[in-house]
Amino acid sequence: MRIRERLANIAAVEGVVVALIFLAMIIFFSLSSPYFLGSQNLRNLFVESTFTVLLAAGTSYVLIVGGIDLSIGSVLGVSAGLTLLTMQKTNSLPLAIAVGLASGAAIGLLNGGLIAGMGINPFIVTLATLSIFAGGLNVLTTRAQLIGTPSKSFASLAQGSVFGLPSPVLITAIVVILLELVLIVTPFGRRIYAAGINDRAAHMAGVNLRRLRLQVYILSGAIAGLAGILLASKLNSVQPGLGSGYELTAIAAAVIGGVGLSGGQGSVWRSVIGALFLATLSQGMQLLSISSTWFTVVTGISIVAAIAFSRMTQRLAATVRPAASPPEPTQPEPEPSEDRTPAAAG
Amino acid sequence: MWEIMSSRSTDAALLVDDQDTGPQGSVVLEARGAGKRYPGVIALDDVSISMRRGEIHALLGENGAGKSTLIGILSGITEPDSGEIIIDATPIKFSNAAQSQSVGITTIHQEQTLAPDLTVLENIFLGRELRRGSLLGRFLLDERAMRKRVEHLVEEFGLTAEDLRRPAGTLGALKQHAAQILKALAFDARVVILDEPTSGLADHERMSLFENMRRLRDRGVAILWVTHRLDELFGLADVITVLRDGRNVATVDPGTQTPDSLVRLMVGRRRSAVADNSSQARGTRWSGPEEEILRLESVSRAPLVRDVDLVVKRGEILGIAGIAGAGRTELARIILGADRADKGQISVNGKQVRIRNPRDAYNLGIAIVPEERKTQAVLGDFSLAKNISISDLSRVTRAGMIIDRSAERKLANVYVRDLEVKTSGIQQKIRNLSGGNQQKVVIARCLFTRPALMIFDEPTQGIDVAAKNEVYRLIYEFVDAGGGAIVISSELPELLRVSDRIVVMREGRVAGEVAAGPAQSEDERSDRAEVIMALAVRSSS
Amino acid sequence: MSFLPNNATVGQRLRAAVTSPNSGVVSVIVLVCIFATIKSSVFISVNNGFNIASQMVFILLLALGMTIVLISGGIDLSVGSVMGLCAGVVAKLMIDGVPMVIAMLLAVAAGAGLGMVNGLIITKLGLPDFVATLAMFGVARGLLYLWTAGTPFLDYMTDTYFVIGGLRRPLGYLTVPIIVALVATLIVAVTLRFTPFGRHLYGVGSNSHGAMLSGVSVPRVRLLAYVCSGLLAGVAGVLLAGQTTAVAPDLGTGYEVYAIAAAIIGGAALSGGRGRAIGAVIGTLTLAVTANAMNIAGVDPTWQQVVTGLILLLSVVLDRASTLLRSRVVQIPIQPVAATTAATAR
Repeated sequence: MRIRERLANIAAVEGVVVALIFLAMIIFFSLSSPYFLGSQNLRNLFVESTFTVLLAAGTSYVLIVGGIDLSIGSVLGVSAGLTLLTMQKTNSLPLAIAVGLASGAAIGLLNGGLIAGMGINPFIVTLATLSIFAGGLNVLTTRAQLIGTPSKSFASLAQGSVFGLPSPVLITAIVVILLELVLIVTPFGRRIYAAGINDRAAHMAGVNLRRLRLQVYILSGAIAGLAGILLASKLNSVQPGLGSGYELTAIAAAVIGGVGLSGGQGSVWRSVIGALFLATLSQGMQLLSISSTWFTVVTGISIVAAIAFSRMTQRLAATVRPAASPPEPTQPEPEPSEDRTPAAAG
Repeated sequence: MWEIMSSRSTDAALLVDDQDTGPQGSVVLEARGAGKRYPGVIALDDVSISMRRGEIHALLGENGAGKSTLIGILSGITEPDSGEIIIDATPIKFSNAAQSQSVGITTIHQEQTLAPDLTVLENIFLGRELRRGSLLGRFLLDERAMRKRVEHLVEEFGLTAEDLRRPAGTLGALKQHAAQILKALAFDARVVILDEPTSGLADHERMSLFENMRRLRDRGVAILWVTHRLDELFGLADVITVLRDGRNVATVDPGTQTPDSLVRLMVGRRRSAVADNSSQARGTRWSGPEEEILRLESVSRAPLVRDVDLVVKRGEILGIAGIAGAGRTELARIILGADRADKGQISVNGKQVRIRNPRDAYNLGIAIVPEERKTQAVLGDFSLAKNISISDLSRVTRAGMIIDRSAERKLANVYVRDLEVKTSGIQQKIRNLSGGNQQKVVIARCLFTRPALMIFDEPTQGIDVAAKNEVYRLIYEFVDAGGGAIVISSELPELLRVSDRIVVMREGRVAGEVAAGPAQSEDERSDRAEVIMALAVRSSS
Repeated sequence: MSFLPNNATVGQRLRAAVTSPNSGVVSVIVLVCIFATIKSSVFISVNNGFNIASQMVFILLLALGMTIVLISGGIDLSVGSVMGLCAGVVAKLMIDGVPMVIAMLLAVAAGAGLGMVNGLIITKLGLPDFVATLAMFGVARGLLYLWTAGTPFLDYMTDTYFVIGGLRRPLGYLTVPIIVALVATLIVAVTLRFTPFGRHLYGVGSNSHGAMLSGVSVPRVRLLAYVCSGLLAGVAGVLLAGQTTAVAPDLGTGYEVYAIAAAIIGGAALSGGRGRAIGAVIGTLTLAVTANAMNIAGVDPTWQQVVTGLILLLSVVLDRASTLLRSRVVQIPIQPVAATTAATAR
């Protein structure tokens, strides 16, 4: 009983379980393959994971506010394409970056406008924009040869290093830390949680839902745009279909990390853990030369397992610790009364 | 089970006039020693209750006394840990709602049980659809039989044949209520459980509901009736059971009781405290200048608010009375900016303003304690501190963008202490508080914005007697310190007691104004209540 | 759905027509047809109609299942993958010499079984619909990749299968897939409209708590909805394997988007409680007609995805706009006849 209780206590701490599984996986892979912990491999792992990490971080905002954004994969593709195109035409790095970010933010504005302004279901709106802009990238790639730029500086954006750290990893780390801070310490972040927990109540309490949701979708689009810029720089070419499927990986990462789909719960760092988990899994399987097709199967199973497990530990925690568990909401004030025996004694 | 039900429903007589289950007064349903524990609480402890044919059995108790749990057990939603249910002298176990229904128990729950997209007829038979007789027909619905079964009841309960074809979501509150009653009547219900059926109904609507209950009783149905309003009981209930702290403390004949004695049974030892609070009057009234805080001039929003003029001054409590659908909540939403007015002018502190959303309203010093606390006010996963600060985060924000959490906790704690919220700490999640304490936190949230005007929409809905008095105290304190308040309530006695003036709304318009005030004799009060009711329901012709 | 008095004026009737559900969709179809007729006279021909029908069969079957799930308040992202996997089951079993009928039955059973797994994960483990079916989307697709080892299943076609796949048409234009789709539409329509199960689906989707209190077994209804969706995906898979004559590992990719789009365009709501079988037909028809018209009009096929997204977006925007308009219209109380006449007389 004691051990169960303690286990439940540990498991109930947010995110601990995923982190532990993550750790176990790293140990497993490093024992199975001598190359896994090699600096080259780790470098690859982090660089490869940056795109998912960025998208997952943006996705946490959208999920916490109670929405969903399926368009981020195609936003990534389109802004990668437009960035490269601008680079080819003008050879101006700042302009290219601005175009990449602006295109992402603009699609976010479109999503947010329809969702927040007209009150249309976010799933449908972003499914439609997913289709529109994935198609848009196809059209773009048939019109322009999006391979290579003359500029060295553009390539160094994702291929260079700063203080020995790959620059995309550094950029991603900074962005992720900023996003996490904004979410937990600013009024903006506080309102995002409030809107996700109970949007009607938040509205009555003076939270401007329209503006808030609009801002969140613009942010999500802009972050996808940033990921697109980095990916274009890394690949130095843009193919049709670039970015497709990223939205599902990002949502899977958030869910595995423990961000709820119903809004109001989760955080940026939890999505990041989920994204790193998936990236490590993929990388480790490659090292062990397991067919990469297993990856989708394992991702699917991980999603179900992660949620089922967290439900289980919650339930366990609730049954093991009756004293700490709150009284039923319908109970009266805990007035001292001789009729009432403290339940904790039992 | 499906077979049993379908054959029952096709063969059975429409209603129970000639049922063979025994004479009036024989026991239909009995619960013996029912008990239910949740982690940390005993919700129901060894409760026994028996219900007889043709009897209205009232169930009383404060919030949390175990009424909901008992109803849950009888209607098959909650599984008891101990005890048994006996129907027709046979013990029976329910593991879902359908089983309870199949033995003739129908429950009309407090929450919305109608599916808004289904028509009224479809709703009435949801879960108990009638099927056709033939072999293949068993898989098909028999629309005609369903319609036929309720057709003659429809008018009696205030619906039209046309209403049966409408989606339930398009009907008003009263008609939805009628649809729920038909849901009980369409089957030969032997026991009908009504969970606070009059909440949200205006007086004349309650009267028609009581008529319906009498009609059911005359047909030999046993009715279990949960209510918070003691004044309703006398003359209607045949027997009263009082629950307290999960136990059955008394089953009594109403003839031997008075409202006071019932309150004593409900609250037990705490009676004295309640008595003290209930005599709570206004403190020293606001003696400063009686400036206007809010002025509305011919404010309209079709179709529910039309040409409303009103004024609220400092130190004043303005009550708004009216039946459901008279436009009271809609008016509050316009003042708060949750809906926009089609025309008219709103002035705050003498200046004409445009309120586009609740944010604007808060900036102008208007705050609201909304109706339906659970869905419109409480942020369940947030701590008390976060719930209190959400409407004015600028008070705890440093450098323009960082929330200072320790300042937030300190400041919120001041409000929690002032309002005497009973909690284990400022970091406790609000969802774990009782309804009354949640309401206090919502009021704290409003006060935190340092408003000039507060709107209380059904502020004591679903909270117990002691907590109600606390809420009144907070309203008094607010206006006596120079604030202005608007109180919207469906309970006339409450409104008469709290308000300085009462505006009566009817069909979206202001139908009249009645003076109110604390020092009233009983006669005066009932006179005014009559005047208000007359204004509220008088037909426009 | 509208309650017009018998003496409604022409204006009232017009307004009711414009604001009725599906009106947006119908107007899209009409516009597309006009556009295509101007561009080409082939569009109206019988042959063309047949082409449209063959294209829409598979989407229609999936859209019917999706409509059932949407009515119950859920969503099924796995239908494309399940359809592909079921096609794989038929092909592989027939290659291994299993009699065709048994192979087909097993494939359909596999579809229903996967649907049941979805339903059980959702109702027993309590996972959100979106997450559970997203996981199945990955798992089913991954399984097909693993099973085929990346190369398509070939050489399973028999003479009968050519007929079943619709490649041989002994009945002229009335091919087996078209007949199956028509029968499925009829069965779904009758189920939704005339059976208790159909009624329960709407009840659960409209107010699941209320349905539970009314005695409807909510988990059973939701489970069955997913079984239906899986079963229809299985049927679609069997037909598709006959039409493609090869089962590639990516067969059916992206079909879930078409199915959702078709169902939504046809008036089903993500919030549950709304949707009709005929709506699925109209939605599918819209997608197919547009694709076909673009094809004939010589629009670059890369635009097709963009247009699909635009139609989806347009249909929800129009639907939403008409709802907003309608809610305003309904709110204005009907004036007594005398008052109206007086006003017009002046």
